[in-house]
Amino acid sequence: MQIILPDRSVRTLSCTSAPIEEILLEFGINPTTVIVVKNGKIVPEDVTATEGDELRILRFSHGG
Amino acid sequence: MTSAENRCSLCGEPAVVRLTEPERRLCAGHFIEDAETRVLVAMKHDRMISPGDRVAVGLSGGKDSTALLLLLHPILPTLGASLVAITIDEGIAGYREETLRAARDLTGELGVEHAIVTFADLFGKDLDAMLVGREAQGCTVCGVLRRRALGEAVKRTGATKLATGHNLDDEAQSVLMNVLRGDLPRLLQDTSTGQPGHFVPRIKPLAVLSEKEIVTYLLLRGYFRDLPECPYAGTALRSEVRTMLAGLEHRHPGTMLRLMRFRDGVRRSARSAEPAKALSTCRICGELTSGEVCQVCRLLGRDGE
Repeated sequence: MQIILPDRSVRTLSCTSAPIEEILLEFGINPTTVIVVKNGKIVPEDVTATEGDELRILRFSHGG
Repeated sequence: MTSAENRCSLCGEPAVVRLTEPERRLCAGHFIEDAETRVLVAMKHDRMISPGDRVAVGLSGGKDSTALLLLLHPILPTLGASLVAITIDEGIAGYREETLRAARDLTGELGVEHAIVTFADLFGKDLDAMLVGREAQGCTVCGVLRRRALGEAVKRTGATKLATGHNLDDEAQSVLMNVLRGDLPRLLQDTSTGQPGHFVPRIKPLAVLSEKEIVTYLLLRGYFRDLPECPYAGTALRSEVRTMLAGLEHRHPGTMLRLMRFRDGVRRSARSAEPAKALSTCRICGELTSGEVCQVCRLLGRDGE
């Protein structure tokens, strides 16, 4: 699966399936500070991502 | 949980969020409805609006104030109140131009009256010029001057209430910061009542929504813009508290809401025990202050120091 991180860099994970929350924590990202878009749709972090999925991680900036 | 299991608790469509208290999953449409309902319920519960109110929305053009204007625009007429947007242009190069454009676009689209007050007009120079050589004090100086500028914009527009886009994260962070600083007076300070002749009551309709919920709301409604961050943003303490609270919220969902309930409880018990503090007017500008000269006059060097 492909992960597009908040800094727009792209990483590829080889695992077949994993809960999105675990993937975020592995990247050192607190799930409460980002929104996850899976294959173009916003999803809660307890949803599982599987091989072939694209995850885009949106970090919202502060100071607005 | 598989995508097939992740369904809206109300209609069975794919869910975009999972919320607690009560535990529920909601699709895009039901989340928008849920967020709008929570804001309306809070406004009614706290009696934020009275019929005939003219509400000034502090519109920075950033995400929170954009969501605030979008939410209040349809609600206020149903409560018998009218709306005006006010934007403070501090004069921060590379930041404010873009957010100002966003604010103008939004008020233009919604047909909302929009007043812009600039630091240069009010204080003689813009923030960038004032901060040369003391950039680290940016947030403190800006905070004091922005409050005064917002007050001035409120007067110019004849507003009876000032609505700001503070969200649950902002408010919970402030509670914890006040506790960590041991600043009980600030913890107890309630700006929702105002001061006749000086400050109109302030309302914070978005304080029931987390920052994440606000961004989700904007994304789903097609209004999220990735805007630049203020170059002066973030005091060290707030930034540390933000990270700490985000960690606690993740491991113990509901932490931020419980902090707000704690603050409300402290305010209720303190209100009956403490006599009202006497305030005077600044001998230079006449605005309300706790000392002889207000912070704005001191920052601008009007006191001769």
